[in-house]
Amino acid sequence: MSLLLTAEDWQTIGLTIKLAGTVTLCLFVIGTPIAWWLGRTTSRLKGPIGAVVALPLVLPPSVLGFYLLLAMGPYGFIGHFTNWLGVHPLPFTFWGLVVASVFYSLPFMVQPLQNAFEAIGDKPLEAAATLRAAPWDAFFSVALPMALPGFLTGGILTFAHTVGEFGVVLMIGGNLPGETRVASVQIYDHVEAMEYAGAHRLSAVMLVFSFLVLLGLYAWRPNPKKA
Amino acid sequence: MFKRCQHLLIGAALALGMSVAHAEKVTIAAAADLKYAMADVAQAFEKTHPDDKLDIVYGSSGKALTQIQQGAPYDLYFSADIDYPRELEKAGLVVGKITPYAFGRIVLWSTTLDASKMTLQSLASPDIKHIAIANPKHAPYGMRAVEAIKAAGVWDKVEPKLVYAETVPHAAQLVESGNAQVAVLSLSLVLNPQIASKGKYWLIPDRLHQPLEQAYAITKHGEHNAAAKAFAQYMAQPEARAIMQRYGFVLPGELK
Amino acid sequence: MAADTIDLDLTLRWPEFTLQVAQSLPGRGVTALFGHSGSGKTTLLRCVAGLERPQGTLRFKGRTWQDAGSFVPPHRRPLGYVFQDANLFPHLSVLGNLRYGMKRAGRGSADISAIVELLGIGHLLERKPARLSGGERQRVGIARALALQPELLLMDEPLSALDIKRKQEILPYLERLHNELDIPILYVTHAPAEVLRLADHVVMMGGGQVQASLPLREAVALPGTPLFAGQSHVAVIQARADEASEGLRLLQVAGQTLRVPEDACSSCQPGKTLRLQLAARDVSISLLHLPEVSINNQLQVRVVDIAPAAHPVNVLVRLELGDGQLLFAEITRASRERLELHPGMLVWALVKAVALAGDLAA
Repeated sequence: MSLLLTAEDWQTIGLTIKLAGTVTLCLFVIGTPIAWWLGRTTSRLKGPIGAVVALPLVLPPSVLGFYLLLAMGPYGFIGHFTNWLGVHPLPFTFWGLVVASVFYSLPFMVQPLQNAFEAIGDKPLEAAATLRAAPWDAFFSVALPMALPGFLTGGILTFAHTVGEFGVVLMIGGNLPGETRVASVQIYDHVEAMEYAGAHRLSAVMLVFSFLVLLGLYAWRPNPKKA
Repeated sequence: MFKRCQHLLIGAALALGMSVAHAEKVTIAAAADLKYAMADVAQAFEKTHPDDKLDIVYGSSGKALTQIQQGAPYDLYFSADIDYPRELEKAGLVVGKITPYAFGRIVLWSTTLDASKMTLQSLASPDIKHIAIANPKHAPYGMRAVEAIKAAGVWDKVEPKLVYAETVPHAAQLVESGNAQVAVLSLSLVLNPQIASKGKYWLIPDRLHQPLEQAYAITKHGEHNAAAKAFAQYMAQPEARAIMQRYGFVLPGELK
Repeated sequence: MAADTIDLDLTLRWPEFTLQVAQSLPGRGVTALFGHSGSGKTTLLRCVAGLERPQGTLRFKGRTWQDAGSFVPPHRRPLGYVFQDANLFPHLSVLGNLRYGMKRAGRGSADISAIVELLGIGHLLERKPARLSGGERQRVGIARALALQPELLLMDEPLSALDIKRKQEILPYLERLHNELDIPILYVTHAPAEVLRLADHVVMMGGGQVQASLPLREAVALPGTPLFAGQSHVAVIQARADEASEGLRLLQVAGQTLRVPEDACSSCQPGKTLRLQLAARDVSISLLHLPEVSINNQLQVRVVDIAPAAHPVNVLVRLELGDGQLLFAEITRASRERLELHPGMLVWALVKAVALAGDLAA
């Protein structure tokens, strides 16, 4: 199997998995409070904020990548912030990709979670309150377990979406091996260099890998029909 | 099947065109960085040949090669790398000679530093954190950048600071946004009116890298296209050469 | 304001509805909050629970749950709440549901076998709510609220989502609850039948306001009482079960005897106090005691007053038993004139059917 792809190719696959995994975990943490608020608020801000969260769905990835590149650079607001924090600038780094991917995949995590939280409604949480559960307690012991299918869907979509991410990475990654050279970019480079065989092989491996991951997760999802 | 339809349609259009007047249409595949230069040359040509219409499609030379190999209906092919037309010639898809239109030159360029006072050795300076070049894996200008840096003896110090853009304009973008301090670009790009005002450049001596021969040829498809031939000849005329030089597409001996 | 009552002075303003209640409710027994949908009864219950935040004050047996400067959130009020559709947690088993509140009320390892038995859910403990019937779910919901040993039990139309069969199934459990627990219960319902069977006190609501707050005895006697809107008046009287003979159970009331089929009163032990419902339409009036008539049950009563009945051709005659309990008889005006009935007369009430409504603690 190791002869099938070059060492460089394998490195890109490893980096892709690392990126997708990291982004998914980050979005579980970031997306949950946003989805909770969106799913339960009656504020007038719900519409506008929901639309902002959904923006990455319609923006071409290269547009998003372009603006993130500007924002993360020394003249942009994110760049100023990282500067102020004393942190290394984000472009051309793995964590820069993570930050960009968090923006890019945000709706893929928030929307399924929001739907799940909306579906729960108020009643179970009121029941929890009458059973001596304080609000945080009710969230973790009732809302989270009931929203589990939403978490699964959000996690799957976010992971898959990040694996396939290309336009954004291309813009701000700098294509550095082991750092920002993910599989999607590597395949593109193979094609650009007219190394079609290499492109085919890497694509095939990514396809099989992704399919197996999705198959596993989809098969594992709790079936609402089973009691 | 689709390609055949394309051929039929274009053939019909051409025939129609030919029957209307003696006007001819030429479809040209040109390397992306030729955009401004070719537009000016085409304009000049159309003034003296009012019956002929030039239709220029800009894009990656590699992709155009693949398309022509698959039967795309280009009459002329302007490639950023002479190896591609040579590939076509091997396959018998070229008519006449492959003619160089420029020898590509690379430059150092920056918006924040005065690149005109730099050399390749300057790239080793700790002030410069990131240097953007086009991906050497598939971009000829990127390959030449790597060759020049190696030839200047600073590869070990410079290589860790390199970031790879997909194209030369992308590399320029990385500098413009402040994320890289210096880029290695093509001369033609830095002479481009959009870019020229933003920073200064330093011409990298061409003995430090392999030549970047850029050439054009008439394809099999354009074999019987009189206008195509006329334009190919026009490219060698002084008026056309003057325009090309203005945009940094220089042949040996023309250099300022 | 005694230390044994629930004192409310609450106002809740919504765009299309305002709840305004200032009442002192009994701190024991079952208090029914009765009215049509939209009358505000459920809203009031939710205010007591802290699930809504009205303005005003709320004191439970002397403890302030809400006033101008403070608000005790629902999870800190020692109450139990039974929802209209059980509202069980779908991701927990029945036992998990029961233990949920217990853990948080510091009763994690307490023995709940009595409650489980009281509600007959012992065989359901391992099941998930999705595999329970509506009636079973409701019983679990009640058990879950009770497992906390609340000081106040709030029930929001616990039977309205069930069909008649299930209702009949659960009512005995509720009656048992009433008898075996010493805690006050606020019971929201729009069904007069439930009020008659379970309530000690009735709060009648309409349009977000309290229209009347009365002990049950007085509530049923209220002329034009909404409890019987459009239907026959029903008297609720207490009787004492006695021996059985010849397939008939004897019931003593006001020194007189009623007879009902023994199997209509399966849990009637001699000496036990029972609650009986007598519909006015099932009561006829005779000037004389009639031994030669098929109707077994004849009670000597005095006419208290005569009022128009819902149906224009009838009148409602209020009759008093020797011990002060009241009965109703609905008869035609023509009959009233023929018998020359007037207040103060001694007559006989002929009772054709007696509805037995389970047990009632004395």
